[in-house]
Amino acid sequence: MSGEPTNKDKVISKRIDRFFIGLERAYDFVKRFFKEVWFPPYEFKEVIRQCYQIGYNSLPLISLTGFIVGVVFTNQSRPSLSEFGATSWLPALISIAVVRAMGPLVTALIAAGKVGSSIGAEIGSMKVTEQIDAMEVSATNPFKFLVVTRVLASTFMIPVLVLYTDFVALLGAFVNVHFNELVSLSTFFVQVFDAISFLDITSSMVKSLFFGFTIGIVGCYKGYNSTKGTEGVGKAANSAVVMAMFLIFIEELLSLQVTNFFRQL
Amino acid sequence: MRNDNKKSVTVGIFVLIGIIILVTGILTLGAQQKAFVSSIRVFSVFDDVGGLQPGNNVWFSGVKIGTVKKINFYGESQVEIEMNIESSSKEYIKKNSKATISSDGLIGNKIIVIYGGSGQGPSIEEGDRLDAEMPLDTDKMMETLQVNNNNLVSITEDLKVLTHKIASGEGIVGAVLTDSLLVQNFKQIMVNLERTAANSTRMTAELADFSRQLNQKGGLIDELLTDTTVFASLKSTVLDLEATGRQVNDVSENFKSVSENLQDSDNALGMLLNDEQFAAYLKNTMVNLDTGTVRLNETLEALRYNWLFRGSFRKMEKAKDKAE
Repeated sequence: MSGEPTNKDKVISKRIDRFFIGLERAYDFVKRFFKEVWFPPYEFKEVIRQCYQIGYNSLPLISLTGFIVGVVFTNQSRPSLSEFGATSWLPALISIAVVRAMGPLVTALIAAGKVGSSIGAEIGSMKVTEQIDAMEVSATNPFKFLVVTRVLASTFMIPVLVLYTDFVALLGAFVNVHFNELVSLSTFFVQVFDAISFLDITSSMVKSLFFGFTIGIVGCYKGYNSTKGTEGVGKAANSAVVMAMFLIFIEELLSLQVTNFFRQL
Repeated sequence: MRNDNKKSVTVGIFVLIGIIILVTGILTLGAQQKAFVSSIRVFSVFDDVGGLQPGNNVWFSGVKIGTVKKINFYGESQVEIEMNIESSSKEYIKKNSKATISSDGLIGNKIIVIYGGSGQGPSIEEGDRLDAEMPLDTDKMMETLQVNNNNLVSITEDLKVLTHKIASGEGIVGAVLTDSLLVQNFKQIMVNLERTAANSTRMTAELADFSRQLNQKGGLIDELLTDTTVFASLKSTVLDLEATGRQVNDVSENFKSVSENLQDSDNALGMLLNDEQFAAYLKNTMVNLDTGTVRLNETLEALRYNWLFRGSFRKMEKAKDKAE
């Protein structure tokens, strides 16, 4: 593993070299994950524990956020549609927005804030307190135990959380629409499912997998490579959130292009 | 260990609920978009599909019966639409049905609408091709609207001129609206009309009364209209009048002939009326007769005093006196 570049051994410039070195480290980290994930020992219990932490413990926050998003988005969309006398299109508009973009994006951003920072801080503190080194000494593969389990858990839990978010956000939208337009639950959900397609659900699930993987791997990477004591832990947690959110937006943009490609087929 | 199990169960329930939401969503979506029902493929060829996309709905009698599967170019510039239509509705769609492109609401998605088809015809089958009816072209509609707009401008301009003339008292309508004398005349006309109407009403009532009297039993007209004996007598009288007329005609013919003869001078009366020479001769004769009569009176007077006849005259006077 390469260290921090010095003035003597710099290739382009210190900052650019640091960027490319970081990229190479990230590449190695991801490559190691895919190498380790297939081979035993499989830490099922740790995976379940992480699923509980990442998935179940995030549910209240995700549900509340999803509900508020549904209510607020419906309320904010109503004036624009009412100008055309098209408030009856609110369920269709909200279902498209929630299923295609807002559900996965809101869930991923909330999870990046909550889960990403917690993973980064947890592994970072283990790193600076040399617990990881101790695990290596005690013949336990710390990468498999700490990284693989968390990345797998976040990869599989984020799509589940997205489903919850979609459901709760649509429920929030229904509450708003019901009290304003007096639309029944069945009519609302008929209009919701009339507006979306299998491609929307599939793309939503697939990109949620990518979002989950990104949150997990970035958090683990930042924590695993943290230095400089307690300051490094905070920095690792912070940069894990920032980097994860940045990558989520990039992935959202890419997924839009890929989905549009499949939509035209 | 117990805590680990609790976490495992919680995660299991959490994931299960998530999967239930996903499966329910997929099944609902599939049921609503007819993804899991058996369907047949039907085609239609359009000149222009106006933005129709795969996945758009197919409607029949206002009910969604399928979706657009594929859109392919066909021939030189036409477009072939492949539709998936659910098998349960195929018996209601006849082979001579038509397909057109419409939209779901005023600003909604494009849809294919299948309509028409006679009730006796055979139903559509897999791979059938429906006749396409081209939808209304909005560009052409706008062109027509533009023509209408121009006409409207022209009409409003004419109306403006017209109302200006009316406001300034030109023409009959303007005069009616501005000339007080004309208004008075008009009012008078209306009064007269009202009076005429009243008279008409009264006259109608009288006519009704008159007709009622005509229809009264035993009246002359009723007898004429209903009694067959009176009709026979009238018919006989008319025949007699006709014969009399013919005789009068003969008499007049005779009179005409007599008057024509009187015009001629080859008969006694005609000569008397028309021959001037004869008239002069007759006049002369009458003069001579008058003269002869005078002279005869003188001669006879002279004879009274003649000795030869004196006695006879005296005897005559005596006899006359005696008789008186």
